[in-house]
Amino acid sequence: MSEINIYQRELDNLEQSKLFLKKRNLTSSEYRIELEKLIENYEDIVSQSKVITKISDRLQKKLDQTNEKLYNRNIQLQDTIDELTKTKISRKATTIVFIVAIILFLILESIIEPYIEKFTGFYTALFIKLGIALLIKPAEMLLEHSLLKKARKEKLIVTET
Amino acid sequence: MESLIIKKTKQTPEINFNAQSGVLEIKGRSIPENSFEFYTPVLSWIDQYIKKPNENTIIKVYLEYFNTSSSKFILEIFKKLQKIQNIDNKNILIEWYYDKNDEEMMETGKDYKDVTELPFEIIINE
Repeated sequence: MSEINIYQRELDNLEQSKLFLKKRNLTSSEYRIELEKLIENYEDIVSQSKVITKISDRLQKKLDQTNEKLYNRNIQLQDTIDELTKTKISRKATTIVFIVAIILFLILESIIEPYIEKFTGFYTALFIKLGIALLIKPAEMLLEHSLLKKARKEKLIVTET
Repeated sequence: MESLIIKKTKQTPEINFNAQSGVLEIKGRSIPENSFEFYTPVLSWIDQYIKKPNENTIIKVYLEYFNTSSSKFILEIFKKLQKIQNIDNKNILIEWYYDKNDEEMMETGKDYKDVTELPFEIIINE
C-alpha cells in the first residue's frame, strides 16, 4: 500500500495520459501538448529514479559499514569478557589452592610431622613439605583449567537457551 | 498559519516547521514503516505554506539516516518548495547538515543539490 502511495503523483499523471488517449477527434496540437507533458513527467521520473537509486545504494553502503563496525565491536567485547572471566577464575583457583596448601601444611606441621620425624627422620618431613610447595603451581593450573572448562560449558548452555 | 511540530521517535525524524519564521527543520533518522503516513501531513502543510510563504524560507535538514521511501518524500518536499522561487520577493534556501565523519550523507546532499533547482548549502554539523 505504502509503495503505491509514495508514487501517487506519478500514477495520477499516468492515468491522465491514459484518459487522454481514449479521447476522440483531437487535433495534432492537442496531441503535441499532451506528449510534451508526458515527456516532462517521464524526465522527472528518470531524474528521480537516478537520484533515489544513488542515495539508496549509498545508504546501503552506510548500513553495511555500521554492521561491520558493530560486528567488530562485538568480537572485541567478547574478548574482553573472556579475558575478565579468565582473570576472575585464575584468582579463584589461586585462593583455593593457597588455602588448601595452608591447611595441608598445618596438618603436616601439627599432626603428621612428629610421627614422621620419630620414625623416618627430619629430612623426610622436609621433602614432604617441599613436595607440597612444588605441587602448588601445577595444582593451581589444573584447577584453573577445570574451572574455565566449567565456565565455558555454562556459557554455552546460556547461549543455547 | 500554525506551525507543524512532530516529535522525534526511534524511526521518524523531528519536524519543526515554523510558518512565522520560515524556518523548516527536519532532524534525526527517517525509517518509518509507512513513509506515506508520516510524510502526508508534512506535504499537506507545505502545500498550505507555499500559498503564503514567509519572505525568507530556510529548510534545515539534519538527517543521520533515512530509507529509500523517505528519500523520495524528501525530494518531494524540495520539489514542492521550488514553487516559492517563482513568487516575487520570496527567497528559499536549503541547508543540508552532515556530521564531519559522515561522508555518505554529504554525498547524498550533493545528489539532492544536483536534482533540485534550489539554492543549496551543504554544511558540516560540528
